[in-house]
Amino acid sequence: MFLAVVTSKQSDDASSDAALVQRLLRKDMLAFEQLYDRHSRIVYGLVLRILQQASTAEEVVQDVFLLLWRNAAQYQAGRGPFVPWLLTLARNRALDHLRLKSERQRRREDQADVLPQIAQAPQYEKQLDEKRRAEVVRGLIGSLSAPQKKAIEMAYFEGLSHSEIAAALNEPLGTVKSWIRNGLLRLKEGLIAAQ
Amino acid sequence: MNEHDQIRELIEGYALGAVDEQERAAVEAHLAAGCADCAKALEEARWLVTQLVYLAPAAEPSDSLRARLLQELQAGEAPARVTEIRSHAPAKAAIPFWMWAGVAALLLLTTYSAWTARKQRETIVEIQAKLDAAVKQREDLHQELTAAKHEAVILTDPDSKKFMIWPSDKQMPKLEAAWHPDMGIYVTGQKVPMPGKNRVLQLWLISKSGKPMPSRTFWPDSKGKVDLMIDDPPEVMAQTKALAITEEPMGGSPQPTTTPMWVGGVT
Repeated sequence: MFLAVVTSKQSDDASSDAALVQRLLRKDMLAFEQLYDRHSRIVYGLVLRILQQASTAEEVVQDVFLLLWRNAAQYQAGRGPFVPWLLTLARNRALDHLRLKSERQRRREDQADVLPQIAQAPQYEKQLDEKRRAEVVRGLIGSLSAPQKKAIEMAYFEGLSHSEIAAALNEPLGTVKSWIRNGLLRLKEGLIAAQ
Repeated sequence: MNEHDQIRELIEGYALGAVDEQERAAVEAHLAAGCADCAKALEEARWLVTQLVYLAPAAEPSDSLRARLLQELQAGEAPARVTEIRSHAPAKAAIPFWMWAGVAALLLLTTYSAWTARKQRETIVEIQAKLDAAVKQREDLHQELTAAKHEAVILTDPDSKKFMIWPSDKQMPKLEAAWHPDMGIYVTGQKVPMPGKNRVLQLWLISKSGKPMPSRTFWPDSKGKVDLMIDDPPEVMAQTKALAITEEPMGGSPQPTTTPMWVGGVT
């Protein structure tokens, strides 16, 4: 179970994340160590799931935290919580790595130095306990049909497009689009219902 | 469907990065035109996408990664400090040649030591990664082996009761079940059709009083194979009259909502 969590709550943890990032602007190594200790596991878990190879995953995690150190000013706490921002950065870097030799490398590389948009937490997320949220996400996605779950995982962890997933699963493109959209909407409904 | 509705249906895929180039351009143009509804939906979709991280298994980076990262940061910061210190130093210093030679030798030695240390760290990380992978592989194999042994015991133990689960429609395949009083129920079948959209198959234990007890929901795999293991049935064998399988809405039901597609008598 991840100890670090994707949180939207304006809790002490979240505010101290923002405070630690502020301290990075002054090149405060201790603040960096605290952020690393708090979030490296969830970042590493995500990157390892994408890349499937420990040594490469560690390289990418190192890259992510170096980017954080050098670009802390680009994170603006007022626009959203830190962890989703960090995870989006990690996912983008891992997918860049995964696609290093693919045709779409150029498109990804165009975006490689662009730090991610901040995902602002919706209102319904504000009160949900983090452990419960993890259970809800796993439960809801786990309850989808096997091909629908597979389609969502291929999009998120493998960075595949709708059409690539449709080809891989031998399913109509419209079906795959509906699976992914409806899956995310179902996740939203589940998170609201879990309040 | 108007343009707004078409774009709105692409927002979740766009947040995931799954749309094609043309769709991506269309979404960005629509957002640039100032559609507040789609901008709000995108913000929400981006958030939902970040929640998918919970689907990744937990994993721990090696301690050496932390050490390597901190060392790299310290090394990166060092030149700035040196520059700052030098800016306060006299513009010209009378340093004899032999001292410059000593400094150069020291620098060479330091560089070589740092290079050697880095290579050693890389080797350690590589070995650690291989070790981690081997341990994980072993754990996976162990889990598979445990499950296989579990199934084998259920299938071969004389205490197990084996029976067929018959389809209500003769065109459908029959399923086989084996129930061990301590180890659970194992159900297998081939060529089982996939349930309808947003539907699952659900196993029921029908008690001797006729009450259906809900058990696991499941799907056949892409080839129609069913391989279902129930470690902890909701009822004991002695109190169960039959097993039944129905098609239910996603997530399963507390009570059957459709007529059983398969039924098999336990006793």
